[in-house]
Amino acid sequence: MKFSVEKIVHGGCRLGLLHEVGKLQSVTVETPLCLLHTKAGSAPNLSMDTLGYIQNLPPIALMPLNLLAEHHETLEEYKKGIADFTAMKDFLICCSLQDPCTAVPSGYNDKTSVALWGRAGKMKVDPELFVKIQEAFQPDWFQCLGDSDTNKDSSKKRSKKAVDNTLNFLDEILKRRKSSEILQQSSVFGSIEGGFNQFERERSAKETAARGVDGFAIEGFQSDGQEFRQFHEKEFTDILGLTLKHLPEDKPRMMLGVWRPDSVLQAVSAGIDIFDSSYAYSVSEKGRALVFDFDYHKKHWESITDDDGSENSKNATTTGRGFSVDLKDSRYKDDFSPVLKGCGCYTCKTYTRAYLNHLLTTSELQSGVLLMVHNLHHYFGFFEAIRQSLREDKFQQLQQLIDGHSRSPSADR
Amino acid sequence: MAAKHSALSLKVLAECPVTKARACEMILPHATVNTPVFMPVGTQGSMKGLVPDQLRDLDCRLILGNTYHLGHRPGPELLEKAGGLHSFMQWDRALLTDSGGFQMVSLLDLAEITEEGVKFKSPHDGSMMLLTPEHSIGIQNAIGADIIMQLDDVVSSTVTGPRVEEAMHRTIRWLDRCLAVHKRPHDQNIFPIVQGGLDEDLRRQCARELVKRDVPGFAIGGLSGGEEKQHFWRMVTVSTDELPNNKPRYLMGVGFAVDLVVCVALGCDMFDCVFPTRTARFGCALVSTGQINLKNKTFAKDFQPIDKDCPCSTCQTYTRAYLHTVVTFETVACTLLTVHNIAYQLRLMRSMHESIIAGQFPEFVQTFFKDMFPKKNYPDWAVDALSSVNITLL
Repeated sequence: MKFSVEKIVHGGCRLGLLHEVGKLQSVTVETPLCLLHTKAGSAPNLSMDTLGYIQNLPPIALMPLNLLAEHHETLEEYKKGIADFTAMKDFLICCSLQDPCTAVPSGYNDKTSVALWGRAGKMKVDPELFVKIQEAFQPDWFQCLGDSDTNKDSSKKRSKKAVDNTLNFLDEILKRRKSSEILQQSSVFGSIEGGFNQFERERSAKETAARGVDGFAIEGFQSDGQEFRQFHEKEFTDILGLTLKHLPEDKPRMMLGVWRPDSVLQAVSAGIDIFDSSYAYSVSEKGRALVFDFDYHKKHWESITDDDGSENSKNATTTGRGFSVDLKDSRYKDDFSPVLKGCGCYTCKTYTRAYLNHLLTTSELQSGVLLMVHNLHHYFGFFEAIRQSLREDKFQQLQQLIDGHSRSPSADR
Repeated sequence: MAAKHSALSLKVLAECPVTKARACEMILPHATVNTPVFMPVGTQGSMKGLVPDQLRDLDCRLILGNTYHLGHRPGPELLEKAGGLHSFMQWDRALLTDSGGFQMVSLLDLAEITEEGVKFKSPHDGSMMLLTPEHSIGIQNAIGADIIMQLDDVVSSTVTGPRVEEAMHRTIRWLDRCLAVHKRPHDQNIFPIVQGGLDEDLRRQCARELVKRDVPGFAIGGLSGGEEKQHFWRMVTVSTDELPNNKPRYLMGVGFAVDLVVCVALGCDMFDCVFPTRTARFGCALVSTGQINLKNKTFAKDFQPIDKDCPCSTCQTYTRAYLHTVVTFETVACTLLTVHNIAYQLRLMRSMHESIIAGQFPEFVQTFFKDMFPKKNYPDWAVDALSSVNITLL
């Protein structure tokens, strides 16, 4: 994997290019990038049929290891790797350790292994097993074992242990990777840990960077599977800033999580390059549809008249609107307009809010399919807008637009 | 132009010279449907996670919705505002709705049937409600399906005695009430339902009375409810004997592959059943030898598709081993198996249609049974039913 930063704007926002990634050597992918989040090898609720309805899919899928690791013996026998096994062979595969939208039980990691929770329960994975699993999975890139079982309340001792363990895992994995022919094709992302401890974070960043990995997965702040909400806290932004300072500029930085749009922009400003789409799933699970505006080209007066998709449909401006609407709400029962007027996705072109409301109130599976199609389309569209705004030096306009949504009383949803 | 009495035309393309099976083309307002046909059940205006495009890809042309559920949610007023169920769910092909009576009797403990209609306690707010023939047709007119069903007096197929006869007569009286209030005969076809329990005479009597009415097609009801299979097939064949050749015959609630093949041989054209979609939710896939449960560990390292000859997108894309990892855990698995199971049902019906046209239906039946029962342990009722229409299993 190669990475280059094309442009740094607005302080720390990086417009970058990923190239020569895994099996698709000729594909160039722009960052900030949102990976297609999957669960057990499929985008949640979507088969290859319905995934195909989404026009603007990224070429890279995120496959969290925790739900797949228990099948490693099957994959070993299958021989063709996880992309082929899950019918995702048109995608590059990034294999992360944990699912960003599932809570990880605390207290099960130790010096020798990390606990991965799958269907069959807990699986303790040490570097030897980890490399064996990756050899069976053959992802285009993978995140190394990391002890991310830390948060704001973690002690200094626990944060230190997390960094020590993670660095030991990394050394062991890199050593084993050297003698693995099959893993020469796979890029390696080191895990940056250390909870909220400044010293440990800096140590983790410096030491991991010194080990020559292809990129970095920054984690260990929050592992409850909920929306990532640390950006309102200075303690977090300071530590993240310090961490990133010690990472080389020419390597991509990935931070997985359930990212609300305003947090995405804050993370981009801080210098994060790679995200994932688990937010779209988490919103869909609540029966909600994304309606926030990211068309920063539109003048403000236009967005005032554009009141469709607004929670409070009268006199709506961008401010006062949340990011999503609750389609279970009875106000949509006889609303025969599309989920989001002007949206080009399959769901909006085909169905009405009234039908979605019916599917949700009757708990029909199709609601999850149609919401995922819309929400993924919208979220990937948002990332395209981010890249565009960086190219055009209009990131601030986009940020203003998004800030308007986040000031809404309904923004927490 | 003369007033149109029905919105259905049936062309019998071929009749099996040996059995009572026939292959037809049925033209409905929203689709031309080849019979024998299986209709997947999309109870509440949705097909279990499949979007209409996926059904169209499977060449599915006729699906079923349930009046009881749709009448409750989203309700007839909303459906009327939406321009009918076709437009609401974006399904541009044919639809059939049942009358709602069956659900009341089967789902609700407190249903009481009077001459007026079916009285029941609303499961939602506990109030007493009454579904009359007029009310059922009113809802079905709002839904707007191509084929609608009369409200019938449904008696469990295991009940015997005078109640069965009473229900048969009441069904006929209710039919007349349904016909009187049906507002859309020009674009919705109402089917009466042959009742009469497990009594041959009552069945014949009922059918003879129904055929006197000018209706576009007929249904055979009150079966497939746990009765002896030997009784079941006899009631089917008695009913088809009485029904006219130039109108379609719909056998309600039947969908197991073996039952479908036997009942096509007995002269039925249309079928519906929740089984293929329901069993998908439990991880079961339909195959020529019956069904396989993909949860089973034996499939963990089975890298073949469910059925290598199946053209459905699930079989073209996924292995049994992958499905094994997701069934009953991830909702996508339910969708994937539903696609396959509907594809299986539709393919089975298409093969029968084609074999009847090719004049090879008896051979088709023999091969089907040999695949399904490799040890030739054929069920007695099927052997008897098929021999009544001159097929001897190999």
